[in-house]
Amino acid sequence: MQDQNMLKQNHTVLVIGGGVAGIRAAMDLAESKRDVVLIDKAYSIGGLMTQLDRTFPTNNCDLCTLSPNLSESGRQLHIELMAMTQVAEVQGEAGNFKLKLITEPRFIDLEKCTACGDCFNKYPECVRFTPGLDHRAPTCMRYPQAIPHAFSIDIEKCKDIDGLVKVCKADAILPEDTQKVQEVDVGAIVLAPGAEVFDPGKLDSLGYATNPDVVTSLEYERILSASGPTQGELVRPSDGKQPDKIAWIQCVGSRSLHEGAASYCSSACCMFALKEAIVTKERFQDSIETAIFYMDMRTFGKDYELYLNRAKNDFDIRLSRSRPHSVLRNPETASLSITYTPDDSNTNVTEDFDMVVLSTGFKVSQDVQDLAVKLGIELNEHHFAKTDSFSPVATSKSGIYVCGMFESPKDIPETMVQASAAAFCASKDLSVTAELSESVEEFPPERDVSQEPLRIGVFVCDCGLNIGGVIDAKGLADYAGTLPDVIVSEMIGHGCSRESLVHIENTIIEKNLNRVVIGGCSPRTHETKFQDALRRAGLNKYLVEIANIRDQDTWVHFDHPDDAFIKAKELIRMATISVALSRPLTDNIFPMNKDVLVVGGGVTGMNAALGMADMGFKVYLAERSGELGGVAKKIHKTIEGDDVQAYVKDLINKTMQHDRIEVINNAFIVDHTGMPGMFKTGFQIAPQMFYRQIEHGVTILATGALPNKPEEYLLGEHKNVMTQLDMDAMIENHPDEIKGLTNIVMIQCVGSRCPENPNCSRICCQSAIKNALRIRELNSTAKIFILYRDMRTYGFYEDYYKKARELGVIFVRYGADEPPEVQAVGEQLKVTFYDSILRRNVSVYSDCLCLSTGLIADEESSEDLGRIFHIPKTIDNYFLEDHIKLRPIDLSVPGFFVAGTAHAPKTIRECIAQAQAAASRAHSMLGRDTLNLGAAIARVEGEKCAACLICVRACPFSIPFINEDGYSEIDPAKCHGCGICAAVCPAKAIQLMQYEDDQIMAKLTGLLERVN
Amino acid sequence: MITAERKPMEELIECLKPYHRILLVGCNECVTVCAAGGRKEVGILSSALQMAFKTEGKNLEVKEITLERQCDPEYVEELVTHIDQAEAVMSMACGCGVQEIARRFKDKPVYPAVNTTFMGASERQGVWAERCQGCGECVLGLTGGICPIARCSKQLLNGPCGGSTNGKCEVDPDIDCAWQLIWDRLKALGLEDRYEENIPAKDWRTGRGGGPRKIIREDLVK
Amino acid sequence: MENFEPTIVAFCCHYCAYTAADMAGSKRLCYPSNVKIIRVPCSGKVDSIHILKALEMGADGVYVAGCLEGDCHFKNGNIEASKRVAYIKKLLDEINIGGERVEMVLMSAGMGERFAQTAVDMTEKIRKLGPNPVKSASKADHAA
Repeated sequence: MQDQNMLKQNHTVLVIGGGVAGIRAAMDLAESKRDVVLIDKAYSIGGLMTQLDRTFPTNNCDLCTLSPNLSESGRQLHIELMAMTQVAEVQGEAGNFKLKLITEPRFIDLEKCTACGDCFNKYPECVRFTPGLDHRAPTCMRYPQAIPHAFSIDIEKCKDIDGLVKVCKADAILPEDTQKVQEVDVGAIVLAPGAEVFDPGKLDSLGYATNPDVVTSLEYERILSASGPTQGELVRPSDGKQPDKIAWIQCVGSRSLHEGAASYCSSACCMFALKEAIVTKERFQDSIETAIFYMDMRTFGKDYELYLNRAKNDFDIRLSRSRPHSVLRNPETASLSITYTPDDSNTNVTEDFDMVVLSTGFKVSQDVQDLAVKLGIELNEHHFAKTDSFSPVATSKSGIYVCGMFESPKDIPETMVQASAAAFCASKDLSVTAELSESVEEFPPERDVSQEPLRIGVFVCDCGLNIGGVIDAKGLADYAGTLPDVIVSEMIGHGCSRESLVHIENTIIEKNLNRVVIGGCSPRTHETKFQDALRRAGLNKYLVEIANIRDQDTWVHFDHPDDAFIKAKELIRMATISVALSRPLTDNIFPMNKDVLVVGGGVTGMNAALGMADMGFKVYLAERSGELGGVAKKIHKTIEGDDVQAYVKDLINKTMQHDRIEVINNAFIVDHTGMPGMFKTGFQIAPQMFYRQIEHGVTILATGALPNKPEEYLLGEHKNVMTQLDMDAMIENHPDEIKGLTNIVMIQCVGSRCPENPNCSRICCQSAIKNALRIRELNSTAKIFILYRDMRTYGFYEDYYKKARELGVIFVRYGADEPPEVQAVGEQLKVTFYDSILRRNVSVYSDCLCLSTGLIADEESSEDLGRIFHIPKTIDNYFLEDHIKLRPIDLSVPGFFVAGTAHAPKTIRECIAQAQAAASRAHSMLGRDTLNLGAAIARVEGEKCAACLICVRACPFSIPFINEDGYSEIDPAKCHGCGICAAVCPAKAIQLMQYEDDQIMAKLTGLLERVN
Repeated sequence: MITAERKPMEELIECLKPYHRILLVGCNECVTVCAAGGRKEVGILSSALQMAFKTEGKNLEVKEITLERQCDPEYVEELVTHIDQAEAVMSMACGCGVQEIARRFKDKPVYPAVNTTFMGASERQGVWAERCQGCGECVLGLTGGICPIARCSKQLLNGPCGGSTNGKCEVDPDIDCAWQLIWDRLKALGLEDRYEENIPAKDWRTGRGGGPRKIIREDLVK
Repeated sequence: MENFEPTIVAFCCHYCAYTAADMAGSKRLCYPSNVKIIRVPCSGKVDSIHILKALEMGADGVYVAGCLEGDCHFKNGNIEASKRVAYIKKLLDEINIGGERVEMVLMSAGMGERFAQTAVDMTEKIRKLGPNPVKSASKADHAA
């Protein structure tokens, strides 16, 4: 839906929504050197995910994984973050949108607020707080690492404004703050407004409004959360007791015909409920009973089936297939009664629970629907942004892209994929001139300090109360002043705040300092910030040393403040003596090779290749077979009715004709070396098997998966047994034969969700329904049976499931322990299965048996490529991404990205989104012109070297060699900086820069000089 | 290369007992390569000696110097500026270096810090094995490039002896039987005939039998 | 000797133990302040001389903290460090300082608890061993 060749005028992208999707999109854009305005209506970014306790399927804490992302988005130079901001008006076209933005008053000066908490402690009613269950969390910011890291005042609730102003030591309260209106011009817009959860209060039968022990799944998450209202204690809201028995009811507000509820599937709730049940069980083991009432267990994502199996087998979570109609309070016990019909019975059972969790689905809020009207984009019948099969993140309006929940309900990894995809499409719209807007921070030239006498400045942060609350930070600064060569020594508030950094810079210049020590938090997180400050003040960035007073002293010795103070002095002395020996160093910077290698020439590979080539990169597209197209060549229609063959044909033409894409057919990868930004990959090319090596900066793996063909149910033996792919071809090529059929049986999960291939193939439920509907169009009388285990028509595919039932397709469930049996009876097939409603076996004589065999990983190529590229695989041989939740495209080897069915089974539309996302990730890496390998590289002093070969043998990466002059040489471009060679050199001829021996000795001296 | 290994600390401490200030001299040649007496080992020994002295309540001042090559007088001359401050010298070089220092500085006691062991090759990182005994009359051309003098426990010129079992020496099962190695190699080269030829008894006068040896190159002599 | 507070130097790999130490901080896990950390890019960077010098300068104990086996960011730096520590232990035994004053420990970046526990254990152990004889002897020397 996008026009690529229009005149571009503006190079800024507006990202609406600061949840994980918006953050990911903004970061991808910023890394690709696009300017971003990121707005969120809330007062801190992070969205829904920051309210979760843990995420599936790793059960990790979200905050720990998300907060680095959040702080990155606060740091990025290209991102302007505007909290509490919404779009008021939109004008203009792609390339030149004019928007009016309204920012609500925060009554807090963001520059000054240090989030010390004084305002909240004294005037809690004045400070805004919203997440889950209205009890207040220990901190009134939305979560401990909130960005902006500042409070927000609700002035209307505040009675003593003067007192509030006074309580703030930072002078950050702005009682006169007002709404601000500003206009921004942007070239493209990325929509990531998220969704809201269904309000179950309308369903009075579930008792949510009347019964405090009936909670939504998000509220339950808040109860489990350590930063939640109960600080992680699991207690029943009504009486504060720990529950013994908890029920989850699925599909509340989803797959439903109730007023206000949605007919679609919300996609993420099954996993969400399983996760909550597992986390509960992990914490309380056998002392708590958990039951999930569900309709179909939809664990269709990557490795999600394994998670379901763990819930059942390892955690003993009861899964009950039924849809309870009501939750009633048992007047005798005050428990909650649920009446339901168990799967294997015809009679009702009533069971009591202490708590009931409603798995509420997602819906688009009225606000977002109004925004869509302002933007002029079309919505589908469920009020989600309308997109088409082959442009999954493009809205109906050129220049506006959508990602995350607003596109369709989905989980976090898919949201991350779409966020990158949307960022890429927006980026592509701006590509014509955007490369000019290089706004990398310009630093003044470095001062030559080599001849200067030492002038050290020591700055001690009190970090709110984190340091100053435990030790006397001022006293520490005074002590530092007594150390040799220290010219300036002061205590500063938050050293990392913008104000303090400016102060440090000014002091360096005024006092002509040439070395700096910061006493504060960990260099792991804050070194860059202070290094930048030195650069701005004209010093080399390696002339600063950080004493980790907070993380490794006051935080861990707060119980012994006197000892903490002594240790703080030692740490400061260590840093001061060591910084005296620090020398200006130069980072090793190499030009980035900007060529791209895409492995795999299916729909995913071609989309990734075209994306990168359109952005101006040279792309090598390596395909193992003789032609492009992959599995999609065998598919004719999508479930939405789009023509796949026409699409693939067009894609192949574009790929073949693109002057920046070189397609290498019959290519087998045989070797690989180098590092991100400078890879070399060798191929053998059939049939002559001649060798060729190409150099590239990044690699996108799109090697796909294989259509599964298990030897089951007479597949390959009986001519009327076929796969869904065969059926697809038959409908397309031999409609007459379809018209002649009378009884068609489809069996789901053949070769999936079984011990040999434990995961769900994801695509088969929708493809069975797709084919059933197409058969119905041609043949209105044939009986169509679909034998299934769980119908997994997630998202809007639920509509087609409903339509199929309306058109008389017969769905019969079977259990994994009693699969259907098939017998050949001449031309026909006798299919016998157990009907759980009739409670007896039923046989159908079928003239066509269609097996949903799904996909299976291409073990051979993932094995070979995994070995050559050093990329890990899942147990079922798909490539394993770096972080299953937040980095679903990046592989663990930097510079490698995965897309399409090589990652996990998925539909064409999902493959395209992931291809665009992989292009985005690759593009953001190639946004840099150079590769900075830092300064920590090993350097050999030739005269000292005895050419003993010990370093040559000890280096884990085989980098050192004995050069023509007869001494060891280490290529800085290849050195990884571990320093092992320096530690083993018997001639002490090797030093690792930044960690030279004299500096380590100086640290020891600083630490120990008083000990003797 | 000449290989060496550090003497036990006890022995080193014992011989340095009378002194308060010493010069600890490393060598940047063979003993650096075999990790016995290079700059790094000098540092380690220096630190260990000082600690050992301190635990006894005494002080030892150690001046660390590593020469390019201790067996050449020009390099040893570099010690001149430091020698006066030291009561004794401890050398981490092979015996040649120790003697060169003793020859140059007649009034200073000099002690070896390492035991010079053999002329060898590095089998792999951290492992060195004896290969040559400097017999003065090389027979490697007859024995397939494997020295029976250095590598046969009995220095047999016509082996193996009856103690060779499964390719190993009876002296130590970790030692390969040199004659087994010689036979395997001659066979691989198709030179089995050579094995049949008796090697005549060796004239040990070229070895240590004739007393200390000297090499003179007339074209280079000055 | 009862009030002896040992000084312990911990050489911590940036990728694991140093991060674990920070993690212990974020979790507010208390451990004795006797342990002082020096950050290195890899435990394999810690030279035998650094360990000896720390003791020579008066540290009562030294430990090198690297990544779990198989997890070294640089493949095998932690294994190299373990071998070096074992070698130094022997040398220290030879000069009667006691090899048990030096240890190698392994942990991952997420193991804040293990970092804190290691600090507790090491402090306890060194406290039992008493002051570094180098230090106490030289003090006696000064007193005399």
